[in-house]
Amino acid sequence: MSTFRKSQNSANPNKLNNILSTLIFILILNVSIQIWLLYASLNNALDNNKEILIPAFIASAILFFIGFSWLYYLPKGNFRRK
Amino acid sequence: MSKEDNLNQNWKKDFPIKKQESTQVSRRDFAKFLTFVSGGLMVGSGFVTAKAFLLPKEEVEGEHFICNKEDIPVGGTRGFVLEGSTIPYILIHLESGDFRAYEQKCTHLSCSVFYKPGTGIIHCPCHEGSFDAMTGDVLAGPPPRALPQLEVFFKENAVFVKALIEKKDS
Repeated sequence: MSTFRKSQNSANPNKLNNILSTLIFILILNVSIQIWLLYASLNNALDNNKEILIPAFIASAILFFIGFSWLYYLPKGNFRRK
Repeated sequence: MSKEDNLNQNWKKDFPIKKQESTQVSRRDFAKFLTFVSGGLMVGSGFVTAKAFLLPKEEVEGEHFICNKEDIPVGGTRGFVLEGSTIPYILIHLESGDFRAYEQKCTHLSCSVFYKPGTGIIHCPCHEGSFDAMTGDVLAGPPPRALPQLEVFFKENAVFVKALIEKKDS
């Protein structure tokens, strides 16, 4: 049986490729920002500047949840193995 | 069919996974792995925050006698450790006549720093880091933070140190 998704995918087979590449690109971007946040908060913790720590942790958590919800859009692919 | 062939075929039926497939990392798996790393970084950030607030760094308490003024010549230094602590410090007699006390651990990777007489620079030989001997600020090299400082004061001829109360600029 042909479904909407199936016909869409066969009309534009590159689409899944684009979705997946974009997804991975954004995840890498998130992880880079998180590495920077962790580096900054570590430096500030050692320097006894505590006011930046909680905002940095919240930002890191938000980035993680963005990445986690991105996984919902992870395409399954056109050809499923039986 | 020989017995061996039969065994081989049954084995493949039981484990219908090709070697090539089992070692391949798909982009889907890579995306999941990145999310896992992201979660790890979030936990790390939380850990740093929790440690800073729940187990803060111990402050230097009280006043500690180090030595007499004439024990250190101009441009000379003296290492010391406070009671009940293992952190090494150095007391520097600067050419300007001032005394300064700093932690001897470089803020980069904790190498021992030393004062270069006549230059006003505290030097770290490991990665060529330089600190200003008057203020402890970083002048050059990889150290990310200024050297932690103790306040030096005098009682007649004796040199004492105590925790430095930082004056915030703002």
